[in-house]
Amino acid sequence: MIFLSTKRILKFSWQHFWRNIWLSIVTMTIIVLTLFSLTTLVLVNAIADYAVNSVKDTIDVSLYFDNSIKEETVQALEKELEKIEEIKEITRVSPADALAEFKEVHKDDADIQAALAELDKNPLGGTLILTAFNMDQYPLIMEKIKELKADQLAEKIDYNDHQKLIERINGFSNKLRNFVLALSIIFIFIAVLTVLNTIRMGIYIHRTEIAIMRLVGASNWFIRLPFIVEGLLYAIFGCLIFWGAWALALYFSGDWINSFLTGINFDIRAYFNSNILNILGFEFIIIAVINMISAVLAMSKHLKV
Amino acid sequence: MIELRNVSKTYNNGTEAVKNITLHIKPGEFVSLVGRSGTGKTTLVKMLVAEERPTEGRIILGGWDITRIKTADIPMLRRQIGVVFQDYKLLPRKTVFENVAFALEVASYSKKHIQEAVPQILALVGLEPKANEFPDELSGGQQQRVSIARALAHRPKILIADEPTGNLDSVNTREIIDLLLKINNFKTTVMLVTHNRDVVNSLRKRVVALEDGKIAYDQERGRYIL
Repeated sequence: MIFLSTKRILKFSWQHFWRNIWLSIVTMTIIVLTLFSLTTLVLVNAIADYAVNSVKDTIDVSLYFDNSIKEETVQALEKELEKIEEIKEITRVSPADALAEFKEVHKDDADIQAALAELDKNPLGGTLILTAFNMDQYPLIMEKIKELKADQLAEKIDYNDHQKLIERINGFSNKLRNFVLALSIIFIFIAVLTVLNTIRMGIYIHRTEIAIMRLVGASNWFIRLPFIVEGLLYAIFGCLIFWGAWALALYFSGDWINSFLTGINFDIRAYFNSNILNILGFEFIIIAVINMISAVLAMSKHLKV
Repeated sequence: MIELRNVSKTYNNGTEAVKNITLHIKPGEFVSLVGRSGTGKTTLVKMLVAEERPTEGRIILGGWDITRIKTADIPMLRRQIGVVFQDYKLLPRKTVFENVAFALEVASYSKKHIQEAVPQILALVGLEPKANEFPDELSGGQQQRVSIARALAHRPKILIADEPTGNLDSVNTREIIDLLLKINNFKTTVMLVTHNRDVVNSLRKRVVALEDGKIAYDQERGRYIL
């Protein structure tokens, strides 16, 4: 009996959907626009996070030593620095490595290569590069470096905390996020109104059928459920259409979009591939809830059973 | 079968449609409910199918007190009362068979049951040959017979016919009344709501007349004399 009722409810829902196909198309178009807005919101969040993280990854403290400082002294300092618990990693670049790297970087510069050949010994000293677990720990690490008097030993300490850059990225991404969020809310509101209106029209179109259903003893849920399922059908088809279009857009223009994001190493295809279930689930739940709420609102006002 | 105890109905706008009506209709009885327009006949029908609730009094159908019936129980009540109206209320895009089957489909009857039951009901109302025709291919009398067939789909104990001959000529009117009498012969309680004087007078059955929301008279083998 439940199977039969379910089958007939689905049949009636499909009839509502199909017999008013133009209204259904308009409704699904609004859902697609809402999904576009929501996906953009997800994307803006992701890109902002990537941008901030990529800046964070470049933060470090570099201690440059004069070539007069013996390597053993640098190694001893490295051991002291290893005791600082805020430091995640220490990379030591020996004078030889530094020279090799310098030569590699300037391999096409004949003057520099000639000048280096003239020198008897390596003009470069060693370098210690420190990275913290957390960007907030750098000021503390700087204090501890001073306590160890490493600042006196090093010829130069290079520390750029990029705090202003991060603040600027956060500021910009927050503004963009708020704009897209506002846009999403507007689209959600329009989607609610559209679905509500479509279902209201459906109730009006099927008023004779509904009256007869009531007359012959159809249960309240048997009358109401087709309209809720109809709302779900709009959600399912709207999502499928949008996701199909989005997948095509990514397939054909993913490289082009990525070309704008090379600085932060963001690959839009890889991002969607690894987060696809979360994004689709989040979007479907939002759209399905919107549609069901709209259906219930339309019925509560226009469908007396 | 149908029992109304001191039933009154006052609408929100203050209109008193039914005033303190007490009525008892026995199982298998044929009763004509008569009266001019606006005397409370339709309100009474609406209360019997729980479309309206009485302001005062009690309504009992087959021992079931439906005065304060729960919304969830209304469909069950409506499957026990067949109702036909003046305007037939048929679905124009469904055939005769489908219109009758619709009543069973929405009540979750199996396809097998529907395939067996609908031809039997159509045979009862004399419309078996018209099973695959659409309502607009039928005469008014035939359409009303489809409506009666649909009302009988759940094999109700009570059939309420609210002005079933209002849109019909005298020949079709006679056919519909004969069909109602035939249904009544199968022990179904029939309540005919009408203001057709000739029909009521020819029936020689019980007549309950309403006037100004009250029972003006209640006669066995009565006549329409208002």
